[in-house]
Amino acid sequence: MLVKVKSAANIGLEMVEVDVEVNVASRGLPAFDIVGLPDKAVAESRERVKTAVQSSKIEFPNKRITVNLAPADIPKEGSYYDLPIATGIICAETGCQVPEKSLFFGELSLDGSLRHTKGAFLLALFAKEHGFKNIFVPKDSANEAAIIQGINVYPVESLTQLLKHFSGRELIVADTRCPQDYLADNGCPQAEFDMAEILGQEQTKRAIEIAAAGGHNILMTGSPGTGKTMLARALPGILPLLGEAESLEATKIYSAAGQIPPGASLIRIPPFRSPHHSASLAGLIGGGQRPLPGEISLAHRGVLFLDEFNEFPRHVLEALRQPLEDGYLTISRSRERVKYPARFMLVASVNPCPCGYLNHPKKQCLCHPRLIRKYQRRVSGPILDRIDLHIDVPPVDLKELSENQKASEFLEPSEIIRQRVFLARQKQRERFLGDSIFTNAEMKNSHIKKYCKLSKEVEQILQQASQKFQLSARAYLKIIKVSRTIADLQGAPEIEVSHIAEALQYRPKTEENI
Amino acid sequence: MPQLKTMKEFNLETGKIGEEIARKYLEKKGYKIIEQNYKTKYGEIDLVAQKGKELVIVEVRTKIGDLYGTPEESLTKKKLKKLWLNTVAYVNKNKWQKDYRVDAVCIILRPNKEVDRLEHYENII
Repeated sequence: MLVKVKSAANIGLEMVEVDVEVNVASRGLPAFDIVGLPDKAVAESRERVKTAVQSSKIEFPNKRITVNLAPADIPKEGSYYDLPIATGIICAETGCQVPEKSLFFGELSLDGSLRHTKGAFLLALFAKEHGFKNIFVPKDSANEAAIIQGINVYPVESLTQLLKHFSGRELIVADTRCPQDYLADNGCPQAEFDMAEILGQEQTKRAIEIAAAGGHNILMTGSPGTGKTMLARALPGILPLLGEAESLEATKIYSAAGQIPPGASLIRIPPFRSPHHSASLAGLIGGGQRPLPGEISLAHRGVLFLDEFNEFPRHVLEALRQPLEDGYLTISRSRERVKYPARFMLVASVNPCPCGYLNHPKKQCLCHPRLIRKYQRRVSGPILDRIDLHIDVPPVDLKELSENQKASEFLEPSEIIRQRVFLARQKQRERFLGDSIFTNAEMKNSHIKKYCKLSKEVEQILQQASQKFQLSARAYLKIIKVSRTIADLQGAPEIEVSHIAEALQYRPKTEENI
Repeated sequence: MPQLKTMKEFNLETGKIGEEIARKYLEKKGYKIIEQNYKTKYGEIDLVAQKGKELVIVEVRTKIGDLYGTPEESLTKKKLKKLWLNTVAYVNKNKWQKDYRVDAVCIILRPNKEVDRLEHYENII
């Protein structure tokens, strides 16, 4: 008896419909074969399906079973074909009807229960786009899938439960929550440090606030122990939660990467990724024989913190150029081409020289000038040009630190800064409504022309500055973007001279100092 | 002290019983048995039979109970390959010009050596 069950194959962030054809033949030597380019995980699903069916107290047919995963030319990978295969076998044996317009998806456990499976969110999206009514997913993954409205998401606990559902003895209740339910769940971003814990560094904090408000890239230069890493780690605490559209984008990537924990749903907290500098090219920007999202895509709509920026291998850093500019990247491999979004806020920190004490007010730098130049050249000009805010993190005076200890209660906690950042982001969201961008940092030339009207006075100053500092066209536009953010933080409708003046401070000081 | 049977001897005996049962079963079905335990350079063919114009090479698998796997499961890819080599060897040696096929007879015995289940699979390769 031939039974067809629908499922889908995951390629990057896309899904492709897959027909799982299960034939239980009445003649022939008993066997269990899977054809249709299965990879190792799919081929092994034979053993899982067989044992799971037996554990569910269903007689496993001692017949010739042939499973075809059509279309046969797309390579099938992953463990999520377990459920459709098992469903096909059970329906062929018991004569139950497979529900129409339904997708099946999930990995089986040997005891017949279903395990959390990556990609349930993408499946739900695909189901909605292609007119499927029902999807059957593992219970632990149902939360992810239920975000999508307009389809019935059935959380399946075990094969026994599914069989009962088919025979109508005990129906599974579809998960029907509306997006508002998810958005109402306002988990607070947790940061390791509160901004109020960090003493001094007022200027750096201000720069970080601007960066957070506009989604700008920021580079912190400073001697060891000045608090660069601490400041970066405090950053998640001042970032507001993601909006609905941004959340969906981030959730897509996390679902594809299998990074959503069981039972969790929308990603509301902006991602904060801090890979170590030993990261490989494929690890950072994504890749592999079947390209998976890398750190920069996982940081989409969030923060990518690269500590010891210039310790990263050069070719890894240079690979950041294109995604920094475009906000997405296409990974091409011989078997597959995948496009992953990567619109992140880059936070980088470096030491000024190998010993770390260049320009230190008290300590002396012992590095040879040639060594310093070599050290600083590890990060190329084009990369630095793409960073909007350059800031020096000065060393904190220990005496001042202990005096300030008493004053620490007057420092602004992250909560208050987050309110300001939230308001600034809100303004940007309203401004870019319909432009499919969210932050000032994403503005293209046309947006700048439209939203950043400069008065004569302001333009004059900009012209002067660009001549004096010999700004590149990109740097020129970056200054306008940063000024726009500063104006937003202040609540000013137009960019004023003071905003431009502050933005200019955040350019790299001199060519030598880069 | 009476000599105890080793596992090997025991299984061999089971196999012999199975082959006898299979022979009788096939004869009843109208097969003409040509050879039993025919040896080729690759191994042994359990039964060679003929039905009509077709030559049938039969592999008999016997188990007592299916606690340690069914006889069907014991027909692995490797065994099937060997079976095919045996078949080709027989056909070539005896200059068989007409159709031939390979069958399997799978038997599960009860502990008292009575037949519990007998399955005849035609054309398994």
